[in-house]
Amino acid sequence: MDTALALRGVDKSFGTQRAVAGLDLIIPKGETCGVIGPSGAGKSTAIRILMSILFPDAGMVEVLGHRSALDAKDRIGYLPEERGVYRKMRVGAFLGYLAGLKGMSEQLAMKRARELLHHLGLEDVEKKKCEDLSKGMLQRVQFVGCIVHQPELLILDEPFSGLDPVSVRLLKEVIAAERRRGTTILFSTHVMAQAEELCDRVVMIHKGRKVLDEPIAKLKRQYDTSRVLFEPLDPQPGDAEVLRGLPGVATVTARDGEYELRLAAGTDPTVVIREAAGRVLPARVEIARVRLEDMFVGIVKGETGGESEETLRQHLQGLTAGEAK
Amino acid sequence: MISFKRVGLVAKRDFLVTISSKGFLFGVLVMPFIMAALMFMIPKLMQRSGAQVAVEVALIDQSRAVTEALRQELAPAALTARVVASTRAVTEQLGPAGAKVAATTALVQPPVAFRLRELAADATVDAEKRWLTEEGKQVRERRALVVVPEGAVTRAGNGAYGTYELYAPKSLPQDAASTLHSAVRQALVATRLRATGIDPALVISATRVESARTIEVYADGTQQRAGLNVVLPFVMGILLFMGVMTGGQALMTSTVEEKSSRVVEVLLAAVSPLELMWGKLLGQLGIGLVTMGVYVLLGLLALLQFAALGAIDPLLILYLFVFFLMAYLVYGALLQMIGAAVNQIADAQSLQSPIIILLLLPYMLTFVIGNQPDAPLAVIMSFIPPVNAFAMMARLASSSPPPFWQVLLSMLASLVAAWVTVWFAAKVFRVGLLMHGKPPNLATLFKWARMG
Repeated sequence: MDTALALRGVDKSFGTQRAVAGLDLIIPKGETCGVIGPSGAGKSTAIRILMSILFPDAGMVEVLGHRSALDAKDRIGYLPEERGVYRKMRVGAFLGYLAGLKGMSEQLAMKRARELLHHLGLEDVEKKKCEDLSKGMLQRVQFVGCIVHQPELLILDEPFSGLDPVSVRLLKEVIAAERRRGTTILFSTHVMAQAEELCDRVVMIHKGRKVLDEPIAKLKRQYDTSRVLFEPLDPQPGDAEVLRGLPGVATVTARDGEYELRLAAGTDPTVVIREAAGRVLPARVEIARVRLEDMFVGIVKGETGGESEETLRQHLQGLTAGEAK
Repeated sequence: MISFKRVGLVAKRDFLVTISSKGFLFGVLVMPFIMAALMFMIPKLMQRSGAQVAVEVALIDQSRAVTEALRQELAPAALTARVVASTRAVTEQLGPAGAKVAATTALVQPPVAFRLRELAADATVDAEKRWLTEEGKQVRERRALVVVPEGAVTRAGNGAYGTYELYAPKSLPQDAASTLHSAVRQALVATRLRATGIDPALVISATRVESARTIEVYADGTQQRAGLNVVLPFVMGILLFMGVMTGGQALMTSTVEEKSSRVVEVLLAAVSPLELMWGKLLGQLGIGLVTMGVYVLLGLLALLQFAALGAIDPLLILYLFVFFLMAYLVYGALLQMIGAAVNQIADAQSLQSPIIILLLLPYMLTFVIGNQPDAPLAVIMSFIPPVNAFAMMARLASSSPPPFWQVLLSMLASLVAAWVTVWFAAKVFRVGLLMHGKPPNLATLFKWARMG
């Protein structure tokens, strides 16, 4: 399989701080890969090295068959985490300018830009100045700027951060469409659920090191026998109380019409399932899949340095914004 | 590998955005037109009679000899003749154009009109002084009192003449007082001469020699220079300064803006830092050229107004644009580097002060260099970038232009300096563009240049 991009043994330090340490990453053409990890893990630095915006202290970069992204810029779409616009420029002119820099003819660029703006619910902004748009609209415009020239490779740094739910949904649709078109996509996020939803493969980075690199399909086949998901056929107000009273059940959490039963250490799940089904008629009972979040917390436990597990979990669920470094 | 197409696109956008901004339109295009309009308006405004001051002069002529002479000196025709003569002395440097300027002043009404009131020779001075400060009248009606004693026109035993006295309230305008003084002096001189039997008109014509201009002689024949040489070096300095400052400042501001709005990382996904830097440098070069072009055009129009277009050698204008290019590349790259190194305009302003001084100093020296174009200071400065562009332009515009080999050497020095500066600035640019946080100092800039 052809390689779209590769990092081999890449190191990068800023002063005494080691941002990326011996990072290896190979992404085949057509794959969607999520780079996950909390803020400050080195995701943005790795991406900037890929884009040849920063140069590594050591190691090799290969992008679309070139030794530097500079030689393949026209075939890459890049959405930086800190994305700006020319505030005084009109949306259409701005998009035309970006596409022009990527080597696209103005006529074709404007046609594509109009289509994409339409897809993202921004039919009438072409003549407006960037400074007159709302934040959510502007973020969608920036995304259009990144894919308007139909790149073979999309690199998105925290594409969903700070977006409103409507924009997130629209953006996911466009990313899915790009994926169907065969575009190789690399995106970074600190929200694990987004990675699980969109990726073929997940790469986890912690403190500049790669701590996990697995296809999502394989991760989804891993089950966590300490958690049981239970959905009652005919939900009653007292269900949670009944389930909590079962022997071996440590905690019960209600979520989206189902209960998650966390079992005490050493408990046999078959016993709990049998007992539970005996008390409350289930529509569905299953052993929970391993969640990326749990996996990540398991990997980094003990080296998070002062950060409590609770804070880390909240961050990985996208509940806290977290200052990106 | 630099893509010229991308450099061109960046340059085009920067040029169009800057040139269509309100600040540029007003500061660079509207201002000179307002100034030019004022320059043509002011003489017309001055011709209006409302501006004339009328002064009533009381005269106590104890000598009983100067009254007639003073009356002649205070006549409007005599006053105008004196204004024309003094203007000619100032504008003589400008050659034929200057003569035309002096002639136009003849059309202007003299700023003061005098009405002479002759009093008896034995009138008491103290009584007339009270008239000067008469309640409520001294402001509206300008008044003055001249007393000419006997001794002012006849010699005393030791052979010396006495003098006159002029009394006036504080409200008498300064120019009216000085005009009156010179009129009295002229009248006294004429009266004294006449008393000794000499015709004053003869003395005036015998003591005046029309000042002539130097005619420079060349091996291949004679050539008379037009005589703009005194102001021209300074004007060249101003033009260079305006062009470099406008282009360089716009360059720095737009670089800081791209950084602070974070649009720069989006751009870096499409262009290399070097392409971005060259594109912006060239785009704002266009701004500098437009600015300077507007001023050059206005200057030429002004010369056309005085029928003195021939005073400017077209080659000089060509040199101006060549040396502008050299100066702009060095100063522009330096200012752009500062723009890339900081995040806010305020930080840029403190870092740019050494560069502004480096720009102001040679500009102010152009006057000195123009006067002494072959002095060691002028010659040495012609080869030290970045000040050489100013020194060279001042010398080229002076009455003694440098030899051609010096012009070439100066251009070469500029090219080398421009190349080194752009290279250095590009290094700082590529590191500084993504740096946020506290503004760097000079040492940090050098460190970045090594990293870049």
